[in-house]
Parts: sequence; C-alpha cells; structure tokens
Amino acid sequence: MLKIENLSVNYGYITALAGINLEVNKGEIVTLIGGNGAGKTTTLMSISGLVQKASGKITFKGEDITKTAPDKIVKMGVCHVPEGRKIFPVLTVYENLIAGTLGNPTLKKSQISDLVEKNYELFPRLKERSKQNGGSLSGGEQQMLAIARGLMMDPDIIMLDEPSLGLAPIIVEEIFELILKIRKSGKTVLLIEQNASMALSIADRGYVLEIGNVILEGKGKDLLVNPEVKKAYLGG
Amino acid sequence: MEYFLNQLVNGISQGAIYALMAISYSVVVGVTGLITFTHGEVIMIGAFASFYIFQFVGNNLILGFVASFIASWLIGMVIYYVCYNRFFESPSHISLICTIGISMLIKNLAQIYFGPNQKPMLNVIDNKVFRIGVLQISMIQIIIVITVIVLAGILSFFINKTRWGIKLRTVSQDKKAASLMGVNVSRTAMIGNCIGCGLAGISGMLISVYYQTLQATMGGSLGMKAFSSSVLGGLTDTRFSALGGLAIGIIENLGIAISSASFRDIFAFGFLILILIIRPEGFATKKGARP
Repeated sequence: MLKIENLSVNYGYITALAGINLEVNKGEIVTLIGGNGAGKTTTLMSISGLVQKASGKITFKGEDITKTAPDKIVKMGVCHVPEGRKIFPVLTVYENLIAGTLGNPTLKKSQISDLVEKNYELFPRLKERSKQNGGSLSGGEQQMLAIARGLMMDPDIIMLDEPSLGLAPIIVEEIFELILKIRKSGKTVLLIEQNASMALSIADRGYVLEIGNVILEGKGKDLLVNPEVKKAYLGG
Repeated sequence: MEYFLNQLVNGISQGAIYALMAISYSVVVGVTGLITFTHGEVIMIGAFASFYIFQFVGNNLILGFVASFIASWLIGMVIYYVCYNRFFESPSHISLICTIGISMLIKNLAQIYFGPNQKPMLNVIDNKVFRIGVLQISMIQIIIVITVIVLAGILSFFINKTRWGIKLRTVSQDKKAASLMGVNVSRTAMIGNCIGCGLAGISGMLISVYYQTLQATMGGSLGMKAFSSSVLGGLTDTRFSALGGLAIGIIENLGIAISSASFRDIFAFGFLILILIIRPEGFATKKGARP
C-alpha cells in the first residue's frame, strides 16, 4: 500500500535519511523504532509531504506522492498524527474533531456526525469533555484526541508518531489497545515508538532505524528477541 | 456637562470605527501569525475606492461598502503574496520589514495617482441630527455604529459557527498541524488575510465619510491606531481588540473635551502606553494553554 524506495532527506548539510527502503501492506501494523535522531519522524514527515526530499520515491496505492502537497496527500487517505499531539489548544474537543474532516469537503453533515459518534464510542472520555478547550486536557486525553482527530479523516493508513511520549504507563497500555482496535476496524497503521518493546509486541513487522539507515527489518516477534535490538533498545 | 456627554457620543462612534479597524487587524495577525504595517494603506485604499464610486457611479452607500471591501480585498491579496506567503518559515522580522516596504510603496503610488492633497468626501448620508435631551446624535453616527455591530456579528458567526471558521482557526493556531488535517494552509491564510483587509477597507470608508475628508497619507496614523487598539486587545483576540478600539476612540474624544483637538493622538497613544505599563498583556485574559 505504501512504499518508500531509496529515500534521502537532508536538513542543510545534515543527512537525516540516507536512502531508506520501507514497505507497508494493507491491514498491517508496521513499527519503526530507533533512538533519537535516527530519522523516524523525518520518515513520517516525508511521507506526508512536510519535508523536501533529496532523492528517492514514495508511492501510495500505486501513485507517486513524492512531490505532492501535504493537503493532497491527506485527501488520498494518509493520516499523520504528529509527535507532541499538535492538537489545536483553543478549539474545543468537538471542534478539534471537526478539524479532522476539513481535508474532505465532500463529507455530508450526517456522515460527519456519524464519525463523531464513532469516535466518542471509541474514546468515551472525549465525549465528556466535548465542550472543553483542547489545551485544557491532560496529556493522555490530548493524545487520544489527536488520534481521534486523525480517525475523523477516515484514512486508509494512520501514521502515529510516538503516541506514548510522556504518558503514564497505564495510559500507554490503553493507547496500544486502541491501536489494535484501529487495525481491527480495517485500517493500516504505521507506528513510530521509543517504547520499542511495546511497539514490537503489537506490530506485524518492524524496521530498526539508526542514523538515517534501516539496519534491521523483520517480523515484530523476531525483532523482539533479536540480540542486537535487545541490547540497543530493550535494555539488554 | 452637555459638551462632555456629546463628546462621549462622538467618542463612541469614532471608537466603533477604530474597533472595526482593530478587529480587521487582529483577523490579519491572527490568521497569518505575522505583524503587518500595511494596514493603514489598506484602510486608505478602501476609503478611495468608495470615494471614486461615489464620484463616478452615484451616492449609493451599499455600493460604497462593496467597492471598498473588494478593493481592499484585492490589495490584501497582493500584500499576502508579496509579504507573507513565502515567509511563514522565515524569522518573522523578514515579513515585517517587507510590509513596511510595501506600505511605503502603496502610500507613494497613492500620492501619485490620487494626488497628495486632502479631498473632500462626498456627502452620501443625509446629515440629520437627532436630539435626545441634551444629546445630539447624527445620522452618520447611527449608521457607523450599526454597520460596525452588524459586521462584527457576521464575522463572529463566520469564525465561531462555520466549518470555514474552524479552518481559519486551525491555520491561526498551528499551521503545520492544519496542513496535516488536509487544509490548504496558504490559500486559507490568504482568504483570512483578505477578509481582514476587506473589513479594514470598510472602516476606511466609514472614517472618511465621518470626517468628510480623505487623503493618500491618511493611512499612517490610522494604521497605528488599528495596531494600538489591537495590542490593547492582545493582538489576536477580535473581541478584546474591538474593546481596545472603542476605548481609544472614547479616550481621544474625552481628551479633546478637556484640551484641544490637536492633542488627539497624545491621548490615544498615552492611553496605550499607560495600559501596557499596568497590563502588558492587554485587556485579554487567556484561557487554556497556548503552544
């Protein structure tokens, strides 16, 4: 469904990605793990068109999206839930959800309210707070709002950038259960995580990124027991 | 006391025009996230557009509104593509300096094409004066206040209750996140900017009708008034900016009442300085976290 071939990205003189290859098939959960500065976020940002690519090719559903504008990529069904949630702090929770539908002007009012209801079912806490400003939510609630807002686009693939960042362990578990639910509903998930053990345990496949290169790839369960991964990311 | 009360009425009507300027200013700054110094020129263009319409087409107030809105919208588009569109990622002083340059250019072009002298505005409103007790209220003042209230109401509905309004607010709060929602940030910011400029154009028409005069260089002090009113309101909050504009209008006219009309600006800017010393954040109290 999503294919990255030989992608390189530079920030000025710094190489962020040095020719990576990556593939995500329909219905999979694929995770991208690696330390700080490995290029995980850059990979997502290049998929959603937020950074300039030096070389390489990205295709989505067979179409070349390497040079497509971010808003068009969203319309094709790629949803990017950015690192640090990036919810709109002075829109209410409900308005934040509506913001998720802005990329799709063909949606009818009834379809939008269906989507909102569906998300409220998935995230009951958001319903309680629907009239509150996004900025007044707790970290975990903001993360849920960010994911719910992404789901409002009814995307084919949802890309999550560090959804567990800065959250209490119990909330992290909740979020990972949600990711499994999202996959069950027929969506493809590309997940970036620092929390490698959690990510690999729910992923079908994983890629290990190190300073702009894919150094390992394989099934999630295999990577989980791989000695190199264990040593570097799972604390021995 | 009578004089004082009547100055208060004058202050309210002038404050209403400043309020519209301040609202339009905070729409522009809110949606682009960049400070602009072209606003005075946008106001001036609106005034001249209505002037020429009145002169060549006829004394139709509605037509004047439409003309000043459209002319300022168009000049807003030019400003947007020259000063903002390419500079969202750059340090903010770059677009700021660019707006100063454009403002000089427009002002000087206007002096060449419209002439450098003051022009008398045509009498478009039948200048009836109503007396209520000691108060004297003119037709123009009533029309000004009603126009500003109606426009502010429409704008508030548009921003708070429509999908397009949500779109504008996402762009104003976080441009990157908005583009991840599939919003065409550049186009949305352009339209938001132009709505602000169009409203500024209408305020330009109102002030030149009120004072019955207009001039190519009128934008300088009016732009500063719009900026100051908006600063009083915390720059991006339209409601508090309107309050700031109203306050400056009233203070100015009450100041005139106790001194002389040539001290107008001293009271306006003195008030601004005073408020900024007491409350650096302006009138606005921010709720919820800001990024």
